[in-house]
Amino acid sequence: MSFTYFPLVVLFAAALAFGLVPLSLAWTWARFFSPRKPNAVKNSIYECGLVSKGDAWVRFRSAYYLYAIIFLIFDVEAVFLMPFAVAFTGLSMAACAAMLVFVLLLVEGLAWAWAKGILTWA
Amino acid sequence: MAIDQELKIEMGKQGVVVTTLQELYNWGRKSSVWPMQFGLACCAIEMIATTMARYDLARFGAEVFRPSPRQADLMIISGTVTKKMAPQVVRLYNQMGEPRYVIAMGACAISGGPFKQGYNVLKGIDRYIPVDVHIPGCPPRPEALLQAFITLQNKIQAQPLTGPNRPRHLDAEAQGEFPVPVQGEHDLEPTSNPGVWTVPVVIR
Amino acid sequence: MKTIEEIQAAIEAAVPGGEVTIVMNPSPAAQHSLLVGAGKAVAVAKFLRDDAELALDFCSNVTGVDWLDREIAEKVKVTKTVTKTVDGVEQQVEETVEETVKRAVPGYLECVYHLYSVAKKHGPVVIRMRTANRSDMVELPSLTPIWRGAEFQEREVFDLYGIVFTGHPDLRRILMWDEFKDHPMRKDYVLPDDFEYEPTPHDDVLKRAEAHRADVAQEGAAQ
Repeated sequence: MSFTYFPLVVLFAAALAFGLVPLSLAWTWARFFSPRKPNAVKNSIYECGLVSKGDAWVRFRSAYYLYAIIFLIFDVEAVFLMPFAVAFTGLSMAACAAMLVFVLLLVEGLAWAWAKGILTWA
Repeated sequence: MAIDQELKIEMGKQGVVVTTLQELYNWGRKSSVWPMQFGLACCAIEMIATTMARYDLARFGAEVFRPSPRQADLMIISGTVTKKMAPQVVRLYNQMGEPRYVIAMGACAISGGPFKQGYNVLKGIDRYIPVDVHIPGCPPRPEALLQAFITLQNKIQAQPLTGPNRPRHLDAEAQGEFPVPVQGEHDLEPTSNPGVWTVPVVIR
Repeated sequence: MKTIEEIQAAIEAAVPGGEVTIVMNPSPAAQHSLLVGAGKAVAVAKFLRDDAELALDFCSNVTGVDWLDREIAEKVKVTKTVTKTVDGVEQQVEETVEETVKRAVPGYLECVYHLYSVAKKHGPVVIRMRTANRSDMVELPSLTPIWRGAEFQEREVFDLYGIVFTGHPDLRRILMWDEFKDHPMRKDYVLPDDFEYEPTPHDDVLKRAEAHRADVAQEGAAQ
C-alpha cells in the first residue's frame, strides 16, 4: 500500500528539480561571477523611460464598478448566450425560460445603468 | 582552448561533441537574446516585419520581445532619436539588466540621418550609450537587421569569459550607469558623453 | 462660393470695425487671403463659422510665418532749394531731385488659418493675423474656442514661432520640451553648436565644422 504512489513521488521530485536546478544554477552563477551594479535609475519603479512622479500606491475611484456592470451585461452575457444559441433547437422549454430569466436579470442592470445616466458620453 | 580545431570538427563528424565551458555559456547567451519591445520611428516597421513569419527573427532565439527593460538583453534603436526622446532612451538603457547590447538601426539612429542638421534630432545615439552594431540604411531591410543580429551573436560568441575583454556583466569594474542627458534651455546637456563617444577623426 | 471681396463685405457688414483687408496673391494660384485685425478676430471667426452661407465649420490648418524686420529702399522725388551759381550770380533755385529713401519696416509674426466648409463643400478661405512686432508684443487671440481642432496646431505655432495665443485653453509646448527657451522656426534661430563631427559638411555647416576643427587643433597643440 505504502509503495503504490512511490513512482508519483519520484516524478514530483523530478518535476520540482527540473525547475529549481536551473534556477539555483543561475542564481549561484550570478552570486559568484556576476557582480551587482544597482543604481538609482535602474531601481526606479517606472519602466517607460520617464522619471517616476509620486507614489505607485494610488486610489481608484469606486465609480469603476459601473463599468464592471456594463462589461458584465454586454460581454459575459454574450459568452453565455453563444452556446445557448448553438444548442437552441435541441433545448426544452424550461431551458429557454431559464435563459430568459438570466437575460432579464441583466437587462434590469442595463435599465438601472440607463436610468443612472452612465450611458451618456460625458 | 587546448583542443585543435580540426580535430574537434573531425570528432564532431564522428558523433563526439567536444566543447569548452566558455563556448557552451556563450552559445546559451547568444541563442537567447531578448530584444526590448520598443520602436522609435519608421525603422520600427521594418523591425516588426523582421519578427513576423517571412523573416522570422525567432529562428535566432530572439522572438520574445520584452515590454520591460528589466527582462531585455538587446535594445534595437529603431529610428530617429529626437532630443526630446534621448533622455528616455538612455534611462531605459540604464534600466536594462547586464549583459545588455545595443543595435543602432538606420541612418537616423547612427548619425541623425536626413535630420542631422535640424534642431530637434540627436546626431546619433552613440553619443550617449555604447552601440555594438550599426546598420546603415533608410530604413534597413529586414535582412540587414538579421545580418546585424547575427553579427551581434558572433560578437557574443567570441567574448572570452576572463581577461580584460570579458563581458560587462562579469566585470565588477565596468560602468553600470550612463549619465542621462538633461533637457536644457537650448540643447541637451551635455551634448555627448565623453566616456562613450569621442569626436571621430575625419580623414580626407 | 462667394468671392473674397464678397466675403470681406459680408464680414464688414456683420462685424463692424473688423479691420478686414484683402491680401492679394498675384501668383497663378490666386489664393487671396483676408488679413484680420487681432482686436475683433474672434468675432470675425465666429461669423465665418456660423454664417449660413459661408458655414466654414472646419479649420484644416494653422501655420505660422516669421517676417523679419526689413528695409525698403524707395525712390522718392524731393523738391529742394539748392544754391547754384548761374551766370556768375548765386541764386536760390528750386530743383526736383530723385532720392533713395530707406525705410525700416518692423517685422511681425503671422498666423494663417485655412478654413473649409464640410457642410457646404467649399473652401479654402484663408485668414491671417499679424502680431505687432517679433519681440515683446507677440500676442494674438486664440481661435480654439471657435474651431476646437485648432488647439494642437496653435500649440505648435506657439512652440515653434513663439506667438502667444490669448484665450487658449492649454498653451504649452507640444514638440519641444518644456524647458526649451527658443523658437526653432524663427528665421533668426541659431542652431545649438554640436557640429564637432560632420563627414560631409557644406555651406554654413562647413564654417561651423571648420571652427570646431580649429578648436581641436589648438587643443592638440596645447597638449
